[in-house]
Amino acid sequence: MKKKAALIFGYNDYAFEIAKNLKSGYEKVTIYTLGSEVELPKNCHDVDIKNFDLSDNWSNIDEDIDRENSIAFCVLEDSAENIFLTISLRSSFANLNIIALSNNKQTASKLQMAGANKVIPLVQTTAEMIAEMLQKPIVKEVFHNILFQSGALKIAQVKINEQNSYIGKEVSEIDWSIKYGVVVLALVNKDMSSEFIYSSKIKHHIIDKDDIFIVVGYAKDIMEFEKMTGSRCD
Amino acid sequence: MNFFTRLVVDFAYFLNASIAYQRQKRFFYDILENDKYQYKKYFDIFMIVLIFSSVAILIAEVKSEINIYLKFFNIYIISIIFLVEYALRFWISSSVSEVIIKKSEHSVALDRKFYLYKALLSAAKEKLRFVLSIKAIIDLLAILPIFHELRLLRLFVVFRVFKLFRYTKSFQAFASVLATKKFEFFILFIFSSIVVFVSSVLVYVMEAQNPKSPINTLFDALYWSIVTIATVGYGDIVAVTTEGRMVAIFVIIAGVSVLAFTTSIVVSAFTEKLDEVREIRTVDTIRGLKHFYLICGYESVAQEVVKKLKNTKYSVIVLDEDAQRVENAKKDGLIAINYDPGDVESYQKLGIDVDLQVKTILCLRESDIENVYTTLTVRSISKDVNIISLLMDDTNRNKLNFAGANEIFYPKGLVGMIAKELTGRPVAFEVIHALRNDYYGVEVEEILVDDRMIQNILYVKELNSAKFRIILLGIYKKSTKRFFFNPTDSMILESGDYLLVIGNHAFMREFEIYMHKKKRR
Repeated sequence: MKKKAALIFGYNDYAFEIAKNLKSGYEKVTIYTLGSEVELPKNCHDVDIKNFDLSDNWSNIDEDIDRENSIAFCVLEDSAENIFLTISLRSSFANLNIIALSNNKQTASKLQMAGANKVIPLVQTTAEMIAEMLQKPIVKEVFHNILFQSGALKIAQVKINEQNSYIGKEVSEIDWSIKYGVVVLALVNKDMSSEFIYSSKIKHHIIDKDDIFIVVGYAKDIMEFEKMTGSRCD
Repeated sequence: MNFFTRLVVDFAYFLNASIAYQRQKRFFYDILENDKYQYKKYFDIFMIVLIFSSVAILIAEVKSEINIYLKFFNIYIISIIFLVEYALRFWISSSVSEVIIKKSEHSVALDRKFYLYKALLSAAKEKLRFVLSIKAIIDLLAILPIFHELRLLRLFVVFRVFKLFRYTKSFQAFASVLATKKFEFFILFIFSSIVVFVSSVLVYVMEAQNPKSPINTLFDALYWSIVTIATVGYGDIVAVTTEGRMVAIFVIIAGVSVLAFTTSIVVSAFTEKLDEVREIRTVDTIRGLKHFYLICGYESVAQEVVKKLKNTKYSVIVLDEDAQRVENAKKDGLIAINYDPGDVESYQKLGIDVDLQVKTILCLRESDIENVYTTLTVRSISKDVNIISLLMDDTNRNKLNFAGANEIFYPKGLVGMIAKELTGRPVAFEVIHALRNDYYGVEVEEILVDDRMIQNILYVKELNSAKFRIILLGIYKKSTKRFFFNPTDSMILESGDYLLVIGNHAFMREFEIYMHKKKRR
């Protein structure tokens, strides 16, 4: 049976940090290393380590993974190699979700052109967090806890099922913060795939089945809210 | 030691130990001489105004009769202020009591007889050094118009202009730059003097006998020579004989050389000292800032942080030991200085009060060794200043913590956490990411609850956030230092609390205005 796998290309601290964070969510986490990188001593965290070559045709990878639900991370230190890797993965796997790491804006746009679904602009993201820490320390603390820490507050994506009693009502008519203790940040319209609208901008949106709400709340409140809406779609 | 000597030495010790006396002396030193003292600039501006008003009155006086009060102000009030200033400068220029104590202790240590007159002589020498300094002489000349009955002394008002050297740093910088070329100017002066002397004598010998020549005296010859060598050439006195004209050719050539030499000396002096002059100006600018962020190391993360901070109310100062990176920072429109952030001396040279002026120090070198070193250096200067540091290798986290960093940012760890969110809750991650970066015109803000707001609004219910389509995510309570998510309507607001709100820019501004305007019933 094909496995839901996380394939991390690059033998460096980024790869190991990603592997550490993804171990619980994937059946198989593999770090692929270029021959030149493997000499470096690393803490392997029980992760499979395999060699690869930029000229590979990826046939051995293709054999045992579920391409629809797997994800690839391109985190090679060399920008040119990382772009080449991204483009070669995309040419071989049209549906694979590829996330790539970039160190500057120029590389970020090239990685997107090469077929990465998402690019993590490392320098910009770090700078954003530092600037936020200086200008809005409370926002930084709260959002950091919601996103990255295992604090009491959680963020969730909740989908409206077809039997939901709120279907047909306007978003502005309802206040889930009092009834369920959750605050709606945004919603993804069922027609909009990954685009979203902030709840502060929604006024006359009629709730429909398959709408996804991005909500913040305490874990138990979110669970209650999920029971009401139908399902969680994380 | 006789009675009188003992009395004088005891009095010297008394003055030296007197807190009130030393505090007074320190105050006058700060206001007159200490550029780092925040109130000195006001005193300097006051003196500059006095100087210009004095000169303006002198000019007005030339062709018309001026108001008697104005004359009184110019002659007496300004002169007395200058006199008091001169006396204060004389007082703070050196310490007589310290000289006496030093000499006395020296004699005791070497078991020699103490002579009071020798100690007083040493003290007098130091005072004389002040009196004979150029600045002090100018100060003295500026006081002389008080004796206005002597018409000549009235002209000394003009000398007050020279006092500007004391109060304007540009003049001081100009003088200090030229002072570096003292030797070259001396050589130039000798050369010019020889040319002037030789040509004056020659032209006098050649021309004085000729009845058609306007050069009849040695003074005429000297005047002609100086006018010619300066390449001014008024033409009121000219050589008429062939021999005299030959001398003129020689002087003209020498004059051109002198001019070229002078220009080159001034230019080279400024070229060599330009960086120093700029540095002095940058340091002055930094010292004058009330609050600022200090970025230590201008590499890629620092460059991005600066972009994000462009709308902040605080200035951003860059400190870097690498000249090229400092240049990059300057090109990005920042105040940057080529000092080593890991060196205590850098902060001493800057002359800043780290606790008062610096909001946060950001150690953003992409090297843990440099960041740990800088953090330790800053911590050795200030125990309280907020330090944020970048961490490149997680194994060094303890070292940065130990060095005293308040916040540590580890980009590699951040990548891991982002990866988890992107695979788990991609839309939720995007929502928060976009919100933080204000991508869709919706922003997240921290609104400080101030005393004025409290007078208008006491309970969360009264915020009426829904009316402004503002989402109240929570309240950070100052009293408990806790964040309360989704607060109930009955929660009481207190001054110092922060509201965490999400909304459209325009609605957010209206919401803030509403909170300040609403009157409690």
